[in-house]
Order: sequence, then structure tokens, then C-alpha cells
Amino acid sequence: MTAKARARVLQWWHRTDIVLRILAAIPIGYAVASLWAMALARLLPMARSEATITATLIAFALCAFAAMWAFAARTGWKALWTLAVIGAVPATIAWVSFAIEGRS
Amino acid sequence: MTKGFRQSQAFLHTWSGLLLGWVLFIVFVTGTIAFWREGLNRWMRPEVARVEQPMQVLAGAQRFLVGKAPDAKSWSIAMPNDRTPGARVSWRPQPKAGEQPRRRGRRNDNQATIGADGEMQQVRDTRGGDFFYRFHFDLHYMPVIFARWLVGLAAMAMLVAILSGIVTHKKIFKDFFTLRRAKGQRSWLDGHNAVAVLGLPFHLMITYTGLVTLMALLMPWAVVANYSDQGKLFDVLFPHVEDVERSGRPAPLVDLTRVVRTAERQLGGPIGSIEVSEPGDTAARITVYRSAASMLSSWTPKATYDGTTGALVWRSPAPGGAAVTEGAMIGLHSGRFADYGLRWIYFLGGVAGSLMVGSGLVLWTVKRREKLPDPTRPYFGFRLVEKLNVTTIGGFPLGIAAFFWANRLLPVAMRGRAEWEVTTLFIAWGAALLLASVMRSKPAWVLLLGATGILLALIPVFDLIATDRGLFASLASGDYLIAGIDLTFLAFGLAFLATARRVLRFKPKDRRQRLPRAAAPAAQPELELVS
Repeated sequence: MTAKARARVLQWWHRTDIVLRILAAIPIGYAVASLWAMALARLLPMARSEATITATLIAFALCAFAAMWAFAARTGWKALWTLAVIGAVPATIAWVSFAIEGRS
Repeated sequence: MTKGFRQSQAFLHTWSGLLLGWVLFIVFVTGTIAFWREGLNRWMRPEVARVEQPMQVLAGAQRFLVGKAPDAKSWSIAMPNDRTPGARVSWRPQPKAGEQPRRRGRRNDNQATIGADGEMQQVRDTRGGDFFYRFHFDLHYMPVIFARWLVGLAAMAMLVAILSGIVTHKKIFKDFFTLRRAKGQRSWLDGHNAVAVLGLPFHLMITYTGLVTLMALLMPWAVVANYSDQGKLFDVLFPHVEDVERSGRPAPLVDLTRVVRTAERQLGGPIGSIEVSEPGDTAARITVYRSAASMLSSWTPKATYDGTTGALVWRSPAPGGAAVTEGAMIGLHSGRFADYGLRWIYFLGGVAGSLMVGSGLVLWTVKRREKLPDPTRPYFGFRLVEKLNVTTIGGFPLGIAAFFWANRLLPVAMRGRAEWEVTTLFIAWGAALLLASVMRSKPAWVLLLGATGILLALIPVFDLIATDRGLFASLASGDYLIAGIDLTFLAFGLAFLATARRVLRFKPKDRRQRLPRAAAPAAQPELELVS
């Protein structure tokens, strides 16, 4: 591979990496925060309305930390799959919780 | 902290800050002005005298409504005090048979102002300081839902920019005491750091609580998880007594001043607003809200009284801990609870935030100008950022100055006057955009900053000459709210003029035989204050 071709591949790789990080930071980060908000709203041991508000108040911080992590992870791919795992946990919790008891 | 982590956060800080920086600047500036919302509501209606006897005005409001809309569906009265322009009242007529009950919109024809003497008063049509409050999150000329998502996204970018900005700083404490003047990029960075770190607790608080004010829209998922209908949560959070049916048997309404006095005692503080449903009927009810200026939480308690006897019918129950936390966060954001001293600190925090966003935007160009291959022909992205900076940071304040002048100069009887005030803002801002796109940046900066400075500084002069509410008259009558607003216009006018002068005199260092035409604006004098 010539030096020029290698530089082009590197640049392409760099751009893909940025796109993946932006995806991880904005839509995925928001989805992860939203899933945690849902799980916490179901799980927190307080009155339903209180748990709902508490979960929402916390969710904004999760959103910000997800965006920071998306750019701190070693690669864009790593940011994506780690956030997917972090989102899968509350998704499971919420799903099980819905199966046990529906919404009011 | 590893070097890699800090670098990644520096990248995030730069780009999250830049891409939404222009929206943030506008949101910050309008929000900062909105801390004087009540004051501006009065200042922009100079014909209304200051309320000295609130109860007398309230009695006048009741007299007016009994005469004007005796059998209305409901009345609404904003409790007058020395910060309000009289008492603003509105009423909703009985819905006609088969007609859907109309929601109270912003453009309600059924409203009036009761002056300080208790009589109905003709007042110039203006949005007043409320304009800045709405613009702060609804923007203008676009659907409010879209605007709120945009502002919410900008607020989240801001939160990320603040947190990553903290990480980026190796020596956050030392940087705070460092200001290297007239050193180009270093000075801009020092200035940006100084206003950012100086107001850091404020910036963090205002950004997070700002997101909380929009949380029902931005983050509805916890509600979705627990409730099939959002209304069910609202019934728990904002309980209210059941609606009454009109009995058809007329009965005079109890004296509202008596109900308000009782409510002040029972709710434990001054009253903010009063709603009367089915006035003039035996079924009438009066609901009184405690003023948000009297407590931290925005979710203020309320009580409902019988309209004919004045007896207490219902009181809102004490809210839960999480609801109080949410209400307090919204209260912290809007600062209604703050007295004048604290309000000034809020205002200065907002000014520091505006300077932080503005200097950050300029810093982006200052940093990259050094590395331009040919400074006389910068690449498209650089030119775009530069023009947008001139338009936003130089042009938006010009629009605001024009807005205040429109309030003073447009004919009082003009049709659609309030909307024309707003249109004037956008005409001036549009002119700034035009100017920025055809002129080189340095003269455009000088022109816009200078024009804004002159317009702002002349406002108190106009008030002194053309109104009977000039600076000295306000001071003599002890109306420090209005006097303070005039003096603030003067101070900001002079600061803008001084900044324009700095930019005009700025000569870039002739490093590497540069042509001086791509000049950056010099450090703003406001930044010197913290040195």
C-alpha cells in the first residue's frame, strides 16, 4: 500500500470512528438514559409518582455521562457496544417488571 | 486522569460547544434578561404607576370584573404588588352550547389592566419582560415543541460542554487567577476560563435545572413506564378541587380582599394569583395560589374557598419529597424567590454565562486563525463560524436594543403593536446578518457593537427627556427597580461602546508577515474586571 492510500484509509477510519461516537453519544446515549429512567421508575422503593420524578431527575445526568463516555472510549465501536450493554440491563429490568405488573 | 481521556474531552468540549453555541448564546442572553422580567413588565408600561396599595387595586379589579363579566365561566387575577404593572385580569365567558371550552391562549382578548388607583387603565400593547421569558425556551417564528427540543438539545450540549470543560482543565483553580491581557489567543482562553470558572456553580445549576423545567417533554419515559396516561401523574402532582356546576341561583361574590387576607395566613405567605370560577352564582369558588416569589419551590400551595361565604373548602396536600425537589429545581432556575440582592447575583451569573458562551465561540476562530494557510482567504467553515459569531454575538444584542426602542417609539394606539416590537428585534437582527455577510469582520464587529452601545446608552436619556419616569424621578420616588433598569441600560451601553473601541484600535501582531485584514476582536473590557 502506498503512503497516500494508507493515509486515505486512515482518514476514512477516523471519520467512521467520529460518526460512531456521535451515534453513541446522542441517540444511543439518550436511549440508555431513557431505559434507566424507566427501570428506576419501576424499581425505586417509594410512591409511584415520587419514583417517577426521581428517575427523571437522574436521567439527565446519565445522558450527559453517556455522551462523555462516547468520546472517552478507546474506539467508537467500543463506545457503542458498552453503551448497548449498559442499556440492556434496565431494558431487562423494565421488561420483567412489566410482565409482573402493568401500568396504572 | 489519563492524557487520552482529557484529550477526548477537549474534543468533545470544542464541538459540543461550537455546534449549539449560537443557540446557547441566545438562550443565555434572553434568560439573563428574564431575571428582570417583572421589572421590565413595569418598565415597558411606563404609563402604569407603581402599586402602593395592593388590596385597593384588588378591590378595584373585583369591581371591574363584576361590571364587565358578571356571569363569566371564570376570572383570573394576578395579585398586584410593587413589582407588577397594576393588576392584570382576564376572564373566560361561558362556553356556548355545543362549543368546546377554549383553552386559555396567549392572545386573549378578554383581559384588562387595573391601575394603581384601582381603576381600569388603557395600557400600551406590549409583551413586556415576558417576551424574554418565553423566547428563552420557545424561541420565535417556530412551533414551540420544536423550539423546546432544540433548546433542550442545546442545554444538554451545554451540560456536556461544562462537564468536559472541567475535565479538560489541568489547573482549574490556578487558571481562575490567571489573566494574561492583550496576548491574543492566551487572553481569550484566560477570559473564557475566568468567566466559566467564576460562575461554575451557577452554570452547572442553571443548565441542569433548565433541563428539569422541560423534563415532561424531553424525558417522558419514567412517566410512560408507570402511567398509561400522563394526566394520572398530574392529578397526583397538582391536585385540585372538583369543578363546580353553575346552580343558576345568583349570589354576590364575597369580598376578595378578605379571602386573600385569610389565604395569606393559611398558606403562610403572600398571594400570587386568584382564580374565581362561576362568579355571581351560589356555586362560586375562589382558588388562591401562594406567590412563587415567596418560596423556593415553584409548586406553590393553594387553597379553595366558597365564593359566597369565603369559607375554606379545600387545601392542597403537602407534596412528596421528590415533587418538592423538582419544584425547588425549577424555582432555582427561574429565581422568582430571589430578592433584589440575590437577583443581581443571578443576573451577573447569567452575564458571566453569556460571556462564557460568546468568548468560547470567538476562541474557536482565534485558535484556528493562527494556523490558516492563507489568512486573507480562510476556508468556508472558518468564514461561516466567523460570520455567525458576528451575527449572533454582535447582532442579537442590537436586536434587543431595537426592541426596547420600539417599545418607546411605536405609536401607543398602533394595531398589533406588541408583535411589531418583536418584529423590530428581528428586522435589526436581520440587518446585522446582512451586514456581517457583506462586510469584513472587523468593521462589522465595530459597527454592531458600537450601534448597540449607542442605542442602549441613549435609552435612559430618552426616558429622562420624554417620559415622566426618568432616572431622577424614579430615584426621588424611591422606585429603585425602574431606576436600576435605566442605570443598567446605561452601564451596558457604555460597556458595548468600550468594547467597540477596543476592537477598532486592535492591531494584530504582524507575526509571519500577516496582513492585518483578518483581525480578531480584542479582548472585551468586561474580562478585565476579573483580573
